[in-house]
Amino acid sequence: MKKFLAVILSVAMVIALAACGKTATTNSGAKTEYKTADDVPDSMTSKDGKYEVSFVTDVGQLKDKSFNQGTYDGVKLNAAQNGRSYKYYQPANGDQATDDDRYDAMKAAAEAGAKVIVCAGFMQGTALEKAAKEFPEVKFVFIDGWSLGLPNVAGICFKEEQCGYFAGYAAVKEGYTNLGFCGGGGGTNPACCRYGYGFAQGAEAAAKELGKTVNLNYSWAYGASFSASMELQTMAEGWYQNGTEVIFACGGSMFSSIAAAASANDKYVIGVDSDQSFDSDTVITSALKGVGEAAAWAVAKAYDGTWDEIGNNAVSLGAADGATGLPTATWKLKNYKVEDYQKQLADVVSGKLVIDDNYENLKSSENLNLIIVE
Amino acid sequence: MTFIIQQTIVYAVPLMIVALAGVYAERSGIINLALEGIMIFGAFCGVMFVNIMQGQQWVLNAFAQKQYGLLQLVEILAMLTAAILGAVFSLLLSFASINLRADQTIGGTALNLLAPALVLFLVRLLTAQNTLFMSTGDAASWFMLKKTTFGFDKDAELSFIGNTFLHKVYLANYLCILIFIILSIILYKTRFGLRLRSCGENPQAANSLGINVIKMRYAGTTISGALAGMGGFVYALAAANCSSNGDVAGFGFLALAVMIFGNWNPLTIAGASFLFGLFKCISAGYSSIDINMDGVYLLREIGVSPHVYRMLPYVITLIVLAFTSKNSRAPKAEGIPYDKSMR
Repeated sequence: MKKFLAVILSVAMVIALAACGKTATTNSGAKTEYKTADDVPDSMTSKDGKYEVSFVTDVGQLKDKSFNQGTYDGVKLNAAQNGRSYKYYQPANGDQATDDDRYDAMKAAAEAGAKVIVCAGFMQGTALEKAAKEFPEVKFVFIDGWSLGLPNVAGICFKEEQCGYFAGYAAVKEGYTNLGFCGGGGGTNPACCRYGYGFAQGAEAAAKELGKTVNLNYSWAYGASFSASMELQTMAEGWYQNGTEVIFACGGSMFSSIAAAASANDKYVIGVDSDQSFDSDTVITSALKGVGEAAAWAVAKAYDGTWDEIGNNAVSLGAADGATGLPTATWKLKNYKVEDYQKQLADVVSGKLVIDDNYENLKSSENLNLIIVE
Repeated sequence: MTFIIQQTIVYAVPLMIVALAGVYAERSGIINLALEGIMIFGAFCGVMFVNIMQGQQWVLNAFAQKQYGLLQLVEILAMLTAAILGAVFSLLLSFASINLRADQTIGGTALNLLAPALVLFLVRLLTAQNTLFMSTGDAASWFMLKKTTFGFDKDAELSFIGNTFLHKVYLANYLCILIFIILSIILYKTRFGLRLRSCGENPQAANSLGINVIKMRYAGTTISGALAGMGGFVYALAAANCSSNGDVAGFGFLALAVMIFGNWNPLTIAGASFLFGLFKCISAGYSSIDINMDGVYLLREIGVSPHVYRMLPYVITLIVLAFTSKNSRAPKAEGIPYDKSMR
């Protein structure tokens, strides 16, 4: 009996391990035709055991259908199309990852032969500085970041206030007057703060044009770790039951809790970072920021000899660079038309409409009734 | 009001059913510290089952044609799967603590450590991500009972009772309450229940009267595992959008606390779970609670820091425990491996 058990267990283990190793093998150097990121496997095995292009995730999981996933889609698609080996690293300890965990992930990537490491999320700053000093020959792309004063680090940030503005404006023009905003990072994440402030400004501007007053529930609660939770779902449920029609779910996996509450109440959600209309029928639009494109663009610069343009520097990408906007291919809004949006987009691109990015200025006005929920 | 009642049920039901799981094990003489681990495992199994069923054509057809009965059947089958696999998982604890006479707290802790790791491993293996979601749609659109499920119009006005208990609720929650009542009666009003309890008080005496203590303890722990597994899935369904990530937010441990709080007695346990659920609901949703429906959100406008509301469930637990723990009485023989020669 005991021997039998031992045999069964070892067979089970072998099967499990074999299943683990089932990843795609790409010939390094050979260019492969991939059209969309979904065709590219998340992990691959390189022949020499080295991985040239690496990605270190932010808190939350890789497949968050939002920030991490969107960035990695750009990284892996670019690498696969150019026949480069690629790999992703998730810092240990998940949502409680420390700077040491992040540094360890970067170090592991550098030691595995990385030439470019894309690090997502502003929380990577401290770890990145340490790693970039230790591996000066490796190029680091710091998404949602800033300049660290190091030639091998390129900071890329976005004008989130623009896409937040588009989303808020669209929601109010569509006819909604009770909005909600649930942000991640507990109010300390600059990107999320810009999103929220832009959203409020957009809603206010549209309300002013229509001569209405818009109520906006505004909260950072239960978002500190960007994860779904029962409490967040309860809070969203309460908002929806009290008349909120659409909530801007601004924080990775938090989307899942808010979409669940929206679906229960037949209400709506606005997605963030990527086009999230594929994840839930409750999504009416998404505030897009082109993290994937930006990451691919920066990686390409590391290879074509133009790195100096962005190294030791910080670029801020916005509508003018095609990096912020709303998804027009999956347009669901009925009263607010794509053409209207494109007109507004053109105004922002040309600089005719400038959106304030100083989120300290967030406040109520005669057209915006801001209800801050702690 | 509707909001408070519905959300309280969402929090209270998993606690209540898992606390009853604890009662069944401890009344038979086995301390089941592994409730959390079994919940995690049960949640995974239930969600996995839903995922597999969503790959079946007839289930997809049922969803497309809005055959709610079939979808409810899938939900019930998922609960059953979670219960059965939870029971199987708990056999590890039974075997270690009954046959091998190992220390029960250590056995339970081992399962608590094993379950999240195993579930995360399996989820990553199956999906290459940290959370297993439903393969399409969300829990509410698939399994939630709404006005429209019963053939009412979307804008139909139901009475207060209808709005609260028939609109936006999960059948699973009501089934759990029903199972809770039935199993409580079995524990107190049947021969089986009496024998089971005797094994937790004085197994030597029970054995001398011809009761098979080993069998009874296996029965107690297995029922416990089934209930905990089911509770895990119900938690995942109603509170986590039918997803599994190796975590049930400590509900297994809370259920242990509720069990002690309820003095190993189903009726007090039900009360304790609803009390705890109510305060959890207040802490998360205080900003939307309108007690007398006059449009004034008193708890938000009263000016108390939200942190106070968030502490409430735990503070209340501490206070009630301080006053009631004097009368608290655990089954006498719990935690002691049964040894015939000690008779």
